[in-house]
Amino acid sequence: MLRSDQILATVEMIHKENLDVRTVTMGLNLLDCRGGDIDATCARVRDKIVTYAGNFVPTCNTMSRKYGIPVVNKRIAVTPMALVGAGFSREEFVRLAITLDEAATAVGVDILGGFSAQVEKGMTATDREYIASIPAALAATEKVCASINIASTAKGINMDALAMMGRTVKDLAEQTAAQGGFGAAKFVVFCNQPGDNPFMAGAIHGVEEAEAVLNIGVSGPGVIARALERMIRNHPAPGTLQLDELAEEIKQTTFRVTRCGELIGRAVSLSLGIEFGVVDLSLAPTPTIGDSVGEIFKILGVDAIGAPGSTAILAMLNDAVKKGGIFASKTVGGLSGAFIPVMEDAMLADAVGQGSLCLEKLEAMTCVCSVGLDMIAIPGSVDADTISAIIADEMALGVINGKTTAARIIPVPGKEAGEMVNFGGLFGASPIMPIRNVGKSSRFIAWGGRMPAPVHSFKN
Amino acid sequence: MNNHMIISVMSKDRPGIIADITGAIFKLGGDLADLNQTVLCGYLTMILSVSFDPEVTKEDVVAAVSHIKSPCKFEVSIKETGDDPPPGDPPEETYILTVQGPNRAGIVHGISSFCYLHNINITDLVTTLKNNLYIMALQLDLRGCDISLDLLRRELDDYAQAGDLTVVLQHNDIFAATHEISLR
Repeated sequence: MLRSDQILATVEMIHKENLDVRTVTMGLNLLDCRGGDIDATCARVRDKIVTYAGNFVPTCNTMSRKYGIPVVNKRIAVTPMALVGAGFSREEFVRLAITLDEAATAVGVDILGGFSAQVEKGMTATDREYIASIPAALAATEKVCASINIASTAKGINMDALAMMGRTVKDLAEQTAAQGGFGAAKFVVFCNQPGDNPFMAGAIHGVEEAEAVLNIGVSGPGVIARALERMIRNHPAPGTLQLDELAEEIKQTTFRVTRCGELIGRAVSLSLGIEFGVVDLSLAPTPTIGDSVGEIFKILGVDAIGAPGSTAILAMLNDAVKKGGIFASKTVGGLSGAFIPVMEDAMLADAVGQGSLCLEKLEAMTCVCSVGLDMIAIPGSVDADTISAIIADEMALGVINGKTTAARIIPVPGKEAGEMVNFGGLFGASPIMPIRNVGKSSRFIAWGGRMPAPVHSFKN
Repeated sequence: MNNHMIISVMSKDRPGIIADITGAIFKLGGDLADLNQTVLCGYLTMILSVSFDPEVTKEDVVAAVSHIKSPCKFEVSIKETGDDPPPGDPPEETYILTVQGPNRAGIVHGISSFCYLHNINITDLVTTLKNNLYIMALQLDLRGCDISLDLLRRELDDYAQAGDLTVVLQHNDIFAATHEISLR
């Protein structure tokens, strides 16, 4: 029997609160694509992607029409390419990246992740060639995203790889200086990188995964923000609404949002005959007005994002989202937490411009959410070692707390703090964030070697 | 048991109507498969899906209901459908259409005529009037619809715009997913 109140609540969520499925990401294993040489390997990579993903985008569009819910992004994540391209030179890795780009274009996906390596304990000769190829590979491609896991709770931090990261990020930005250093926005450095994350730039198809799987990223923060606003509006008298009730509203809204993602994911999975993987519960903002995680801070009671209380709010938001989503989905995975990518969230970017949100506060906030220091534009003059040291701090948070953390930092060539950079589209815009204590960490970065795994990693 | 009947009953509402009607069915050995009832402006209407033994006739059921002692008369209508009732699960092409707009005469007629025009069957319908806002939720079976889903959505958009209405068409599974614990 129809219940008009329930129906209207769902209709409101979909149409007024912009519910969507943020991404359907097809994970694809490419380990069987290594051929005798680079030409054979590229041909196999292209064939496999086209074979598995040829109908992927049309199927997502069909399901989107059937259910009346937009699927915003259709993406592919592949096996970390440093494994697929074992023994290749840096030039050959660039060719692999170009092949991935061409295949992504051929099947019509928005973006492809997995130009990646996992070097948290040590690097092979191939890994070093892969790292050396990143700036040219991302400058030569449009849809390819790169990521590298340099730390884990089990193994500690690979400080040799870390030292290379600052230089890599700088080179990436400089090779794409005409686009404001945009190349660096397609590269992310991880600690405890999951193998089933559907979000970019850090999506990979882990070696522990099946041949092909579909992972889902659920809708953005706008739905949560509107639900909270409605609840606050319905309780105008002081003292009639407390924080635990707001947490409960977030939880229940997330349940409904996650269910829609699960429904679409299962339908696409069934139609393509590809295993359904996980729903990633992360709240991923976009630069669109009303689709901001930053907005939720203000709704929940801080007048400036970054003001004292901001970390506590984020902790509650992240936790409530997980509680609602875990019950709604058969299998939850990926990153599953609120993102705070500064450039991609108009209100976070504004807070940087107003000076209320600084790097140190963002770092503190990443202790209680996923994923880390994300999409932060910094002055192009900041040296490579300082960038490596910023990444080191973020990696340490992940290692010690047993969680995923990441850093995606963009040193904008030729620009200084306070100036604007705009990448357009989902990558957004932001004032450049001032960085304190530049040039004071080089002796630390120069040590190299490894930062040992923490004591609580020895659980055997 | 294969004598399936659809029984419709209307009466002024009072406590005990469902107990009386189902008691009469029980005495005839009827197996009640489904029942739907609602009260509107003090009048109850009820529709029941019941299977009887082959020897039970429509007239037996009418007689049993007429013998119920009640201060107000039951208006009964019965259709014999023969074999067992069809399965209860809605078909895959079940959609929910919501229509909202300022209250005025002809909203229900307009949207139901639209459905009829495209051979769309309305399987359930509820309406609410709240602060002069008229809200309708219709469950639709699109199996016989004569146009594609894309075209139907476009035509509904045009219909909504012309009539100053907010009209939304969503798949039934969305509502099941967001309001039920298990996911089919």
